Amino acid sequence: MRKFKTLAMAAAVMASLVAASAVEAAEAVKGGTLVIGMTQKPRHLNPAVQSGTATAVPGTQVFATPLRFDENWQPQPYLAESWSVSDDGLSITLNLRKNAKFHDGKPVTSEDVAFSVQTVKDNHPFKSMFSPVEKVETPNANTAVIHFARAHPAALLAMSSALLPILPKHVYGDGQDPKSHPANNMPVGAGPFKIVEFKPGEHVILERNPDYFIEGRPYLDRIIIKHYKDSNSLALAVDKGEVDMFPFVTNTRDIGRLKKNANLEVTNQGYAAVGPVNWLAFNTKNEFLSDKRVRQAIAYAIDKNFIVKALHGGFSERASGPVVPGSPFYAPDVQKYDLDLDKANALLDEAGHAKNGDGTRFTLKVDYIPGPNEQQKAIAEYLKPQLKKIGIAVEVRAAPDFPTWAKRVSGHEFDMTMDIVFNWGDPVIGVHRTYLCDNIREGVIWSNTQSYCNEKVDGILAQAGVESDADKRAALYRDAQSIIVDEVPIAFINTLPYHTAYSNKIGNAPISIWGTMAPLDEVYKAK
Amino acid sequence: MFRRNYAAMFGLFLLVLLVLVTLIGPLVYSVDPFEIVWAPLTPPGEEATAPLGTDYLGRDILAGLIHGGVATLAVGLAAALITVVIGLTVGALAGFYLGIVDDILMRVTEFFQVLPALMFAMVLVTLFSSSLVVVAIAIGLVSWPPTARLARAEFLRIRNLEYVSAARSVGAKNTRIIWQVILPNALPPLIVSATLTIGTAILFEAGLSFLGLSDPNTYSWGYMIGSGRDNILDAWWAVTLPGGMIFVTVLAVSLIGDGLNDAFNPKLRER
Repeated sequence: MRKFKTLAMAAAVMASLVAASAVEAAEAVKGGTLVIGMTQKPRHLNPAVQSGTATAVPGTQVFATPLRFDENWQPQPYLAESWSVSDDGLSITLNLRKNAKFHDGKPVTSEDVAFSVQTVKDNHPFKSMFSPVEKVETPNANTAVIHFARAHPAALLAMSSALLPILPKHVYGDGQDPKSHPANNMPVGAGPFKIVEFKPGEHVILERNPDYFIEGRPYLDRIIIKHYKDSNSLALAVDKGEVDMFPFVTNTRDIGRLKKNANLEVTNQGYAAVGPVNWLAFNTKNEFLSDKRVRQAIAYAIDKNFIVKALHGGFSERASGPVVPGSPFYAPDVQKYDLDLDKANALLDEAGHAKNGDGTRFTLKVDYIPGPNEQQKAIAEYLKPQLKKIGIAVEVRAAPDFPTWAKRVSGHEFDMTMDIVFNWGDPVIGVHRTYLCDNIREGVIWSNTQSYCNEKVDGILAQAGVESDADKRAALYRDAQSIIVDEVPIAFINTLPYHTAYSNKIGNAPISIWGTMAPLDEVYKAK
Repeated sequence: MFRRNYAAMFGLFLLVLLVLVTLIGPLVYSVDPFEIVWAPLTPPGEEATAPLGTDYLGRDILAGLIHGGVATLAVGLAAALITVVIGLTVGALAGFYLGIVDDILMRVTEFFQVLPALMFAMVLVTLFSSSLVVVAIAIGLVSWPPTARLARAEFLRIRNLEYVSAARSVGAKNTRIIWQVILPNALPPLIVSATLTIGTAILFEAGLSFLGLSDPNTYSWGYMIGSGRDNILDAWWAVTLPGGMIFVTVLAVSLIGDGLNDAFNPKLRER
């Protein structure tokens, strides 16, 4: 009887699975146009030489990558139908599909892979991503073997999304600088969609690639990425149904309002790899901020719960360290710096900064990135009355545009600044850069602009960067994070409440770890 | 004359009231406008701590309205003063000396006149940080051409009148003729124009703030509008209330300006 029950259950489960997949397949509609609205505008469309979401969303449609990742951080075949990592972790062999073609009809070969790895290594702002690559061997047209000087646990992740677009060597190999290559505005790739029109600041129009190497895909005929001046007008356009998908919604009032619209789905999935942290960075060369106690005092004085719950309406999450919650390398047990004004005052007294007659100890300036006001400007302004409570006068210094802010911060001409920095999936790619002593590079934004240097942290990070055992690696990152959090070169505040709002006609919404920064070949739109 | 003009008297009454609120208000209602007093975006009338509600940080709107007036009025006055000083100097020299001086000064004026005022002001504020002083100077620098042209026209008209010839015939120097003979007679339309400029300058400051270019360390009505703009769909009060204050101020100043215009106009003067 028991056996029968089990069998029956198994059969039922099987049946339901079959039924579910049948429904899914039947639902996937071919054709239609997907309109994506974004506020970030790309300068060009070649992610091999440019980071950022604006280039990544169209870039991942045009260019295919060796691998793609699902929503559980598992690598999946893409241009490479299979791959293997050598036991010592020093080489990765990619077996490429034989039927993959670029949009101009030429086949994708291992030569293109070797060329792309070299181009990204030489030109991409994320230096740590492919710096361990020694050489790429191409034993035949469909096999590429990437050799590393040292083990590189983040290598598979760096072969997905916008990080390693496979460029056509016959286009980009003409000796011109890839950063300013004329093809960057109308690039030729092997991805599911090809570019038909790119009007900077207005829109990117992409059309279905009929020769795409995955049979039957993409489902959509066309993707239009429309660029909006501000998120308010974009949110209204989504509300009215003029735009089908709004990725990277940051404003929590927008999220709340869009959630009330019955025709829309709103999800926070699809941002696990981006790992965006909103934080207050200190210039540790500042006469006051060079003292760890002053930095700790400021961290204690910021009410993170108020920011997350009251300012962000509960849509953002507290961040407590360099790595975001949700990453396998998150450190849950670090000092959290819960609001404690008495402790903050005591630390400042101890540091020898007594209050003067009007209750002020000293003055600091705070900068912020113009644009994402709720994350940046609001918190910079919040610091003014809040730090007054511990005797620090805060002067908010507005920047009229992004380059002005970036120039101040990368030139180390700041006291404190609000900043948003992405984890980019693996600490080697997105986290190390903020803390390594040798990454204190004047003029480079999102390098170690805090001028923070601790040889012990450097040592642990170097070790974690080559450790291939996931558990040991996680332990190393926990150690590094507890030191960093204790020394507070950065007061961690919250993770960005990134959400994607999309029409309920959209099926297979992009919820993998890379979200819309991954090929949208499975997305379809019901009639 | 002016006193019988009810609209103008009403304007004056409003302005006096605003100045009183601005100057005495902070002594009576001493809440720091930067301080976070209650939950963010509390609507007006819901909480006694912040009777007119709070902005997106939880700062008291009432405190902002009372404390923010000084900066707004000061910017308006300072910008109007700069406008008059530049405009009057340029217009007077051009209208009095004519010839090459007139040609050069008028070409310069035209150059400034064809620049889109708001864009030019934005560039200035962007270049030299958004402090209140820079904002006032920027507004003054973009709004002087009409005043200059008005002053020039007045000087052109008056310089040929008999009493000017009389002054010249007794040997008065040019500077004396400009400042002591022509200027006093050219003043009435300029005063009217200056009064109206105060209103325009306040609106201009609000416009710059709306675009996010106001000084974040000084509480002004314009700053309130600029910072409340992001939440305009959820919290009308954070934008509408300071907007209302600006509206009332500009209305008061305009009514007074119109009243002065009528009072100075001999044709409307009742004898």
